[in-house]
Amino acid sequence: MNGDREKLLDSVALYALGVLPREEAALIAAFIANDDEAMREYLDLRAAADVVAQTAEEPVDSTRSARMKERLMARVRADVAAGTTARPRPAATYAAWWWGTGLAAAAAVVFSVVTVAQDVTLRGDLATAQRRNATLATQLAQNDRVAAQDRRTLTDLLAPDAKRYDVAAGTVILRRDRLYFTFTKLPPLPRGRVYQAWTIPKGQKNPVPSVTFLPNADGVAVVALPADATRVGAVALSVEPEGGSKAPTTTPTFVRPLT
Amino acid sequence: MDPGVRLMERVRARDAAAFEALYDGYHRLVFGIGLRMLGDPASAEDLTQTVFMKIWTAPDAFRGGSFVAWVSRVARNRALDVLRSKAVHPETEIPAELPLDGALDDDVFARLDAQRVRDALATLPAEQRGLIELGFFGGVTHQELARRTDTPLGTVKTRIRNGLRRLRASLGERVSQ
Repeated sequence: MNGDREKLLDSVALYALGVLPREEAALIAAFIANDDEAMREYLDLRAAADVVAQTAEEPVDSTRSARMKERLMARVRADVAAGTTARPRPAATYAAWWWGTGLAAAAAVVFSVVTVAQDVTLRGDLATAQRRNATLATQLAQNDRVAAQDRRTLTDLLAPDAKRYDVAAGTVILRRDRLYFTFTKLPPLPRGRVYQAWTIPKGQKNPVPSVTFLPNADGVAVVALPADATRVGAVALSVEPEGGSKAPTTTPTFVRPLT
Repeated sequence: MDPGVRLMERVRARDAAAFEALYDGYHRLVFGIGLRMLGDPASAEDLTQTVFMKIWTAPDAFRGGSFVAWVSRVARNRALDVLRSKAVHPETEIPAELPLDGALDDDVFARLDAQRVRDALATLPAEQRGLIELGFFGGVTHQELARRTDTPLGTVKTRIRNGLRRLRASLGERVSQ
């Protein structure tokens, strides 16, 4: 057990520097969230890792700097003039917006100087570029969604305002409308059996089936429950046949009210 | 207080002048991170545009703490997204929003300029410094670090841990000088 903990502590620095693969990062985030010494170490090392970024500061040539600024300020001034309020938008949308704007501007210039024959060719090229751009934008948006989900999970697990409820072999973490199970020592199961999470809505008694999962070889698992946490009064865990059950078929490993 | 924090309060109120000041103050940092991670000025420019547009359209994503640290994380994560889309380094990740209570506080960040950090980093043994820089700017996993530097995985972990500890101590000393 102590050796396992030391191994996990060794990985805290890697997590702070951001060099752990996603799955491993989620495990270490869960460990940090549940271990005071790991949290202290993380905060110290994370601060050091953060400042490394500052060594990258570079002079930007004045033409480039002015060009970037003018593009940004044009959009900002337009928003202010229109009274647009700030709202969250996926980063991919901005990239597509800039790309789209640049493409349109380039197209306007090109079409004003080419001959009709060239125009036909360019239209074809443009259509190809637009199709490729649409494909890339879709891929980027998908990547962004996955990355955003990962970041949100990691942030939730470590957030000081998250509520934590101790349960057998781990912790239930609640932040805003999101719920997570984190386990650091869940016993292995025989073949054909899985762990299944349950949520019990406020004011009700019957559990609602949630996700099934298996821990890794060290008994570690981090699971996001697809439920609106604000409506959940309690959570539970049981061992079920592979594929899950509609109602618990074994005595729950725990039932934890979220109060 | 980190001047970026005050400017962000005004950006939330849709103050274009504050946004312009924020750009003037931090675009070199964001561009530099992009350049180090993506390797070419055009990509760094795209990244800078994207990061600052995110700041303008979603200022509430910044929830306090050090603005420098936050914008650096946003820039790094955005660069990782770009690398991921090119299927170069698909896996590493860091959360942008983090609790920093008990860590280097905002004043410390505000007093650390790039040269001080470079000086502090230069005091680390080359093998520790190299792994930290490659890990941070290369966007690669620790396994990849071990492979690229032909170093055992356990040694990579130890060097990064010791290097970050030493850097933390060195930065503390420099700020108190």
